[in-house]
Amino acid sequence: MCPHSSLKQEFLKKWIMGLQRCSFSKKNMSILERKKTIKLSADIAMASARNGTTRWSRALISNASKDGSDNRLVQQILGPESNTPVAAITNKARTRRALVCKKIVKRSRRQIRRRRRKCVAAAPVKAVTSSIAKHLVRKRTQVLKTLIPGGEFMDEICLIEETLDYITSLRVQVDVMRSVASASVRASEP
Amino acid sequence: MNRALPEMLQCSDMTVLQRQRARLKWQTEQLRQQNYFCELSGVFTSQTGFQQGGLMNGAGGGDSVLSNMGMSRQLKPDPGLETAWPELGKINMGFGSCGYGNGPSFDMNHAISRTSSCPPAVAAAVGSKPVEVKGNSEKMGSAVGRESFKKRKVEKLQNSKVVAEDEYKRIKASEEEEEESKITGPNTIKISNNKKQNSGDTSKDNSKVSEVQKPDYIHVRARRGQATDSHSLAERVRREKISERMKYLQDLVPGCNKITGKAGMLDEIINYVQSLQRQVEFLSMKLATVNPSLDFNIDNLYAKEEFPSCTTNFPTVGMAPEMTNHSPFLQFNPIQQVVSGCGVEMGMGMGMNSSDMALRRTISAPVSIPDASFLNTTCFTGPQQQIQPSAPWEVELQNLYNVAFTDTIEASDLEMEM
Repeated sequence: MCPHSSLKQEFLKKWIMGLQRCSFSKKNMSILERKKTIKLSADIAMASARNGTTRWSRALISNASKDGSDNRLVQQILGPESNTPVAAITNKARTRRALVCKKIVKRSRRQIRRRRRKCVAAAPVKAVTSSIAKHLVRKRTQVLKTLIPGGEFMDEICLIEETLDYITSLRVQVDVMRSVASASVRASEP
Repeated sequence: MNRALPEMLQCSDMTVLQRQRARLKWQTEQLRQQNYFCELSGVFTSQTGFQQGGLMNGAGGGDSVLSNMGMSRQLKPDPGLETAWPELGKINMGFGSCGYGNGPSFDMNHAISRTSSCPPAVAAAVGSKPVEVKGNSEKMGSAVGRESFKKRKVEKLQNSKVVAEDEYKRIKASEEEEEESKITGPNTIKISNNKKQNSGDTSKDNSKVSEVQKPDYIHVRARRGQATDSHSLAERVRREKISERMKYLQDLVPGCNKITGKAGMLDEIINYVQSLQRQVEFLSMKLATVNPSLDFNIDNLYAKEEFPSCTTNFPTVGMAPEMTNHSPFLQFNPIQQVVSGCGVEMGMGMGMNSSDMALRRTISAPVSIPDASFLNTTCFTGPQQQIQPSAPWEVELQNLYNVAFTDTIEASDLEMEM
């Protein structure tokens, strides 16, 4: 679990840094705004802790840098590593094109299969259950793709790998945020 | 190649030997070339005829081999392949080629055919019953059926080794495979790799999927009784990759040990990711309410903190002075003395333990985490908050002392928190 703790430290460092920089710029934000900045800085800190090695982190950063308002925060947190968002965007564009083509091919294949299935008169029970299972799996992968940042452009194998990494970083994020929250609560008490 | 030479020396038939040698030389030369596949089917007929001629010239052993071949329709498992290969080579050396020898010699012919030219002397020997041999080989090929290599040309070509039965079947199947699938580039790579493989790489043969040095291509062997279509093989590789990664996810996501299907696993994963994301939202909301000005001053935050966990590890945030600040707070709790004593290790331990805590919490009570987060967000000033922060620290302290703490402790602490 040693890499875990180092990840936590790095995340916390970047997060607090970003928040401190943010607090200088804006004053008197509403609670929702504050929550949004806190969450955003946490996400970006988490993603930058990966140093662009994973797709979800790159997607997250590029999504954040698209918004003009959030871009400043992104730049602040990323600091000297300003190359990462640019690389992420170009990477995404390339993969997007490839994946769009893949999608078109898949869709056409699916249509062909559907036409074939319609011709088949009686489908055995096994085929029906397997098709149901496949349908379920497909639906759930769609949902998972919406959950993972940048997941729509990944194939299944990459998706699962990214989910693994994303889950570990989310866990780290939750742990650190929880401890900071509890500490700040205790600190705010008289 | 080198192994073939001594075998060749043992062979009595010098003409066959010479032919073998020439063939082998051709083979090694041709291994580098990529257009073998095109010539493959084209030269097939002529080569089989040549092989037949070789058989005729060879000792009567050819016939016996052929008869063996006839009997050797029974499929042998893959593990036999590696051991069989050397024998295959010997026999091939001995007989030049027989109907069965068609297999390995066929591969050699492939190699020869790559250069799109066979030695004219060899070609002259073609003759006797090209059609018959071809028919024979085709029959054998169909009989071989399902054992097949995909992209394992290397192994086939390797051969200077010939073996009886299953080898032949394998080769036949692979011939079919080759004729069906269009493989170009990796052939040469596979061949060179095959040499290494043949030198006793049984594990590779035993495994269903193997990855060669070159990252571009993955060499798969079809299992017995399964389709040898290139598409289905690729799909099988993909499926195995996915299932392998799902296994990792099973370890990571709590409560997935009992679920076996992909759909159920995905469902659990989705729920877990959603719950984690929701937790992040709640915690950020809580932090927003606690800090009206977003001034997360770590110094102030951890002034009252019992554990110098994060502080000692963040020198950049100016945490160094915090170490001295902790001494007045040691009297808060006798446990804290121990905490201060541990110093940096505590911090590391904390980091580990809190993650372990989270893990164990999740394992023991998957539902409890969202509940805990609800507690955090809803009860800002409740007494539960007093209890909740201290309990985990105490538990984590226990972790430090008692490496193997049981889940019961965790459960009891969780109940305390709840």
